[in-house]
Amino acid sequence: MHQTAGTRTLRTIAGWLVVGAFFFPIYFWTSVAFRNAKDIFNWPPKFFVFEPTVKNFEQVFGVSLGFGFGTQETVNPGGGNFYMAPRLWDSIVVASMSTVLAIIVATLASYSLSRMNFRGRHEFVNWVLSTRMMPPVAVAIPMFFIFKQFSLLDTYIGVILIHGLMNLPLAVLLLKSFFDDIPAEIDESALLDGASRWTIFRRIVLPMAKGGIAATAVLCFIFSWTEFLFVLTLTQTGLKTVPVVSSTFVTSIGTAWGNMAALGAAAIVPAFIVILLVQRHLVRGLTMGSLKQ
Amino acid sequence: MSVAQVKRIAISDSPIPWLLPLVCLLVVFTIYPLIYNVWLSFHEFVPTKRALKFVGMANWVQLWNDTRFWSALGVTFLYFIVALVFEIILGMAIAMLLDAELPGFSVLRATLSMTLVIPPAIAGMMFLLMEDPQFGVLPYLLNTMGLLDKSTPILATSSLALAGVLVAEIWQWTPFMVLIFMAGLRSLPAEPYEAAMIDGASSFQMFRRLTLPMMSKVIAVAVLLRGIDLFRVFDYVFVMTSGGPGTATYTVSLYAWQQTFSFLKWGYGATLSLVSLAMVMIMANVFIKVFKVRW
Repeated sequence: MHQTAGTRTLRTIAGWLVVGAFFFPIYFWTSVAFRNAKDIFNWPPKFFVFEPTVKNFEQVFGVSLGFGFGTQETVNPGGGNFYMAPRLWDSIVVASMSTVLAIIVATLASYSLSRMNFRGRHEFVNWVLSTRMMPPVAVAIPMFFIFKQFSLLDTYIGVILIHGLMNLPLAVLLLKSFFDDIPAEIDESALLDGASRWTIFRRIVLPMAKGGIAATAVLCFIFSWTEFLFVLTLTQTGLKTVPVVSSTFVTSIGTAWGNMAALGAAAIVPAFIVILLVQRHLVRGLTMGSLKQ
Repeated sequence: MSVAQVKRIAISDSPIPWLLPLVCLLVVFTIYPLIYNVWLSFHEFVPTKRALKFVGMANWVQLWNDTRFWSALGVTFLYFIVALVFEIILGMAIAMLLDAELPGFSVLRATLSMTLVIPPAIAGMMFLLMEDPQFGVLPYLLNTMGLLDKSTPILATSSLALAGVLVAEIWQWTPFMVLIFMAGLRSLPAEPYEAAMIDGASSFQMFRRLTLPMMSKVIAVAVLLRGIDLFRVFDYVFVMTSGGPGTATYTVSLYAWQQTFSFLKWGYGATLSLVSLAMVMIMANVFIKVFKVRW
């Protein structure tokens, strides 16, 4: 469509303003991570001008960054211990192990769903899709009692299993769509040459679907990274992931916003970097393989 | 089954060995909990005896007469509809705005995907801070514009609390719609638009008669996936209001969770979660049938 220079300029400005508005909460949250309490608890609120400090990061990660700027004020609502580095580690372990679990199980299943013709295949795909619809609370309540019986409460294995399972429908449907992209003729000619299904899967299909598998893994990782309800329900003190531990910054005396923002910012930045790496497949991933970009 | 039979299945063209790990996991983690949940809904925990007691239909009868449940259901539906309408309209408008090659627009599109990697619980915290009545940014802006009295705390006022939570929800998930709709817009063919231009159609007519019908599948998929998640909303209300003030922001998921883990009404919590499960399943499957969504 032809547009005049005027409408182009207007549209450019409108685009920047709209996205700027969406970006503002992220900017503000990150800036809070670099603030002293007096610059957070202020009316009128400070938008852009404040005295920067890395104190919040130092407290959360238990390291001394030693940058000279800002006053070393140690007033903290709650005054408790905000050392959270181990919780970041918990998040990393849970997210990566549950991703490995989901990807292994899902690649096997997706390959057969993409390549083999069998009765009830369509119904099977629908069943997998329907497990995606279960409200987490309807799984978490019985799982709490089942985990209690099997001593899985508050363990890495328990959380890894539940996060892996939570991601299975996404992983299966998304990987199936990536496998569907690889021409079936390749399999067929290899089968005629006497190769087994397993050999074709391992030697031909897996290497060809590398990019798709990586994109699926990234999405599984992020959904585990951001999950809240299962970790809240199925852990006590043994482990806690970042989203759940963030709520512990709210104490009866006040909320340690600076520390919470520091932890939050540290959790968001790596996730954003990995999502940029798979941007090409993002829409396909968000729609569970239903829409291709 | 003999060893030879197992071997034959493993090397044959049968899908069984490929699907077995998936089926096992899904049965253990979805079918079994479901059955357990149904069983639990006919029992109730007795704290004095520290044991479960069979109560028959009592939980289901209680559900029918529980005004807090009906209010939670109403809140859930209201949240669901308001969020979905805002996210679709804003998502479509922003997608159409950004669907152009103008200075910096590829950066803008990437920036929008940033909200999607933020844990919803943390997004809830962000807005809790920004809506704080004493030093929040949002009350300040609304106050300056004369839209909100300084003494009115958004999240502690019954009539405003749900809107306060919805702001976080809509902020975080409108970009989800934008990204999906933009991919849809890009896959549209150019010819119908050229023909319509020649026939002198207005841009609104082109949107109604061409864009919307051609985008219907994309919109249906986006609405289905977002709708499933909206109906089971938990994180935002849990961290921002815990259901309050009063019962103004109690959703079914939150109510079920609190009944189970805060009030130790294990059986009743299971009953509530089953209702939530049944409603999502029915609505999603009807939607899939009506709009012919296929995977």
